[in-house]
Amino acid sequence: MRDVLYLAWRYLAFNRWKTAILVAAITVIMFLPLALELVLERSSERLRARAAATPLLIGAPGSPLELALSSLYFSGEAPAGLVYSSVGEIHDTGLALAIPLQLGHRIGAQPVVGTAPDYFGFRGLPLADGRSLAITGEAVLGAAAATSLQAGPGDAVVTSPETVFDVTGTYPIKLRVVGVLAPSGSPDDEAVFVDVRTAWIISGIGHGHEDLADPGASGSVLKRDGQNVVGNAALVQYREITPDNLADFHFHGDTAGFPISAVIAVPVDEKSGVLLEGRYQGTDSGVRIVRPAGIMDELLATIFTVRQYVLAAVALVAAATIATIALVFLLSIRLRRAEILTMTRIGAAPGRVAAILGAEIMLVLLASSVLAALLTWLVTAWGDELFRWVLLSGYQ
Amino acid sequence: MNRKTRPKVSWLALLFIGTASCGPSDDAATTAETTAADGHVPTVYAVNYPLAWMAGRVGGDAVEVRLPVPDGVDPAHWQPAPETILAYQDADRVLLNGAGYAGWIRFASLSPGKLVDTSRGLDDRLVPAGGTTHSHGPGGEHDHGDVASHTWLDPTFAIAQARAIANALIDLAPDRKTEMVERLNVLQAELTGLDGALAQAFSGLPAAGILYSHPVYQYLDARYGLAGRSVSWEPGQDPGEAGWQALAQRLRERPAAVMLWEGEPLAATADRLRGMGVEPVVFETGAAQPAMGDYLALMNENRHRVASLELVNQEDTH
Repeated sequence: MRDVLYLAWRYLAFNRWKTAILVAAITVIMFLPLALELVLERSSERLRARAAATPLLIGAPGSPLELALSSLYFSGEAPAGLVYSSVGEIHDTGLALAIPLQLGHRIGAQPVVGTAPDYFGFRGLPLADGRSLAITGEAVLGAAAATSLQAGPGDAVVTSPETVFDVTGTYPIKLRVVGVLAPSGSPDDEAVFVDVRTAWIISGIGHGHEDLADPGASGSVLKRDGQNVVGNAALVQYREITPDNLADFHFHGDTAGFPISAVIAVPVDEKSGVLLEGRYQGTDSGVRIVRPAGIMDELLATIFTVRQYVLAAVALVAAATIATIALVFLLSIRLRRAEILTMTRIGAAPGRVAAILGAEIMLVLLASSVLAALLTWLVTAWGDELFRWVLLSGYQ
Repeated sequence: MNRKTRPKVSWLALLFIGTASCGPSDDAATTAETTAADGHVPTVYAVNYPLAWMAGRVGGDAVEVRLPVPDGVDPAHWQPAPETILAYQDADRVLLNGAGYAGWIRFASLSPGKLVDTSRGLDDRLVPAGGTTHSHGPGGEHDHGDVASHTWLDPTFAIAQARAIANALIDLAPDRKTEMVERLNVLQAELTGLDGALAQAFSGLPAAGILYSHPVYQYLDARYGLAGRSVSWEPGQDPGEAGWQALAQRLRERPAAVMLWEGEPLAATADRLRGMGVEPVVFETGAAQPAMGDYLALMNENRHRVASLELVNQEDTH
């Protein structure tokens, strides 16, 4: 038997390129459906888990899927149209805790999430270093964001401008990092958390500048008209919020009317959740309430339907590949007629020759199986990092 | 699905976010409310002394009331350290005065659900402070803070705030509702009594004319129809010659016999005022915790000072 395996091995080693192509083709056919199944299974589990842990989402009318994806995974376009007074209105019902989310800004590739202190308790996000948000202008980084931005408590991070060519757009704001969250294995790891007021300042709704009523600010005053002071172009707006200039920051208008992207509502109990849904559904309140778990189930049902088509396509490709491989082996036998004749003439029994050819096929299949198993293990162990690398490479 | 509303999320991104996400904490939904039902005494933080005093009076031992403002610091202009703000975050409720009082609240990261604005729903009773507006950029004309904030100087406003506090505390410890309602009734009666006493004390002053050393008495002024005017003098500082000249001009335009001060003015200032026919009277606002006594005792001391002055004025007018 060893001589059969030795001769088969020597043949495969001699025709190394042909062997490598065969092994690669069979590996792909074995690995693809396994990996697809594995990734989909894990993805769906975790998508469902995050959605299920977010009882209710409240946002402006529009795509519920967009609302769920942006609010839960900080992905895609930030929805708009909700006002901050919605938070108070939900609290006033006594039915749920309301956690505001203001999204849409970025620091590099990291999403900036404007929220309230309740968010960290709600998601169960302990601090690994530093302290939580206390004052406007501070930031707490998710674990991956801290690594990506190479920042920690005491450092500063600068928000990315909305558009490079918009000279009238909002200026970047320098934020002081006061804490870093422990890794959670969730989208929170990628986020830069700020207070919702800080998010408004990043948006340009709030700003800081020297007090124009102060006689010392005369260089920045265009004219004084009764109780109104008009600033000129020399008036410099602050780019960083510090304890020294904090009092000079202000918002224009009532914060109740300021925009937020969504509100996470955490009902006191199941009945309260149903009552809260009832209050918003079917009304002209300009507010939409959704259960993220239901939305993600719908989305995943669509994905699994598509998966069936993908698997069918993979099966067809696999059948074609197997037929091609069989053809390769058959043609190979024809091409090796002289070699087989030589083996017979020097005393090899016909069964021995067939065993050598069979061993060659078995070795190719074995190598392909081992390689496919290895790749599947890699996806299992390093899938998160792999997908993160693929995704982030798109921003660079 | 409408093309405009289609989320711009690639399949790969979707798979990633699913792969990268994980289950949340199981106890997340339980953070919504903390009540006394589990034996934990709810902690209530206030932004000034009158609120803390009213919360203590209504709540009794059902709640733990804290006011972390250091001694000698005006809560209106206090800027707490981040660690102190984190302590406010940990409270079960934070009592706000409303009306723009305590500017640090605007820049503190606090949970909206824990904030109790004791002036909420009282917009029609807020008194304009008067201020400077400014314009720059596309935002147009705006100002920063347009209502007076020392609301509790009107005892009837304080009663409304006490009711808001009582509602918040009952929400925290519903099993102690009966006793809290009883204590609220007692407090309301006391504040109503204070209101009547202050009205009587101030009854002779409007005709005599009144000045305020600082623009903090708007609610007192509005409640008792005093029609006073404010300067911005500090008790421990000389107003300067320009200040005195401005005051003399004001007195020529409209005479005044009394000036209310938040604290004891400098002796030289008091003497010069008396020389101009203006009697300085200390009327403490009670924003910070008094060294002795409580809010009610402080207001009664204020009232006694005003009432004794009223006799002088009446003698003068005869």
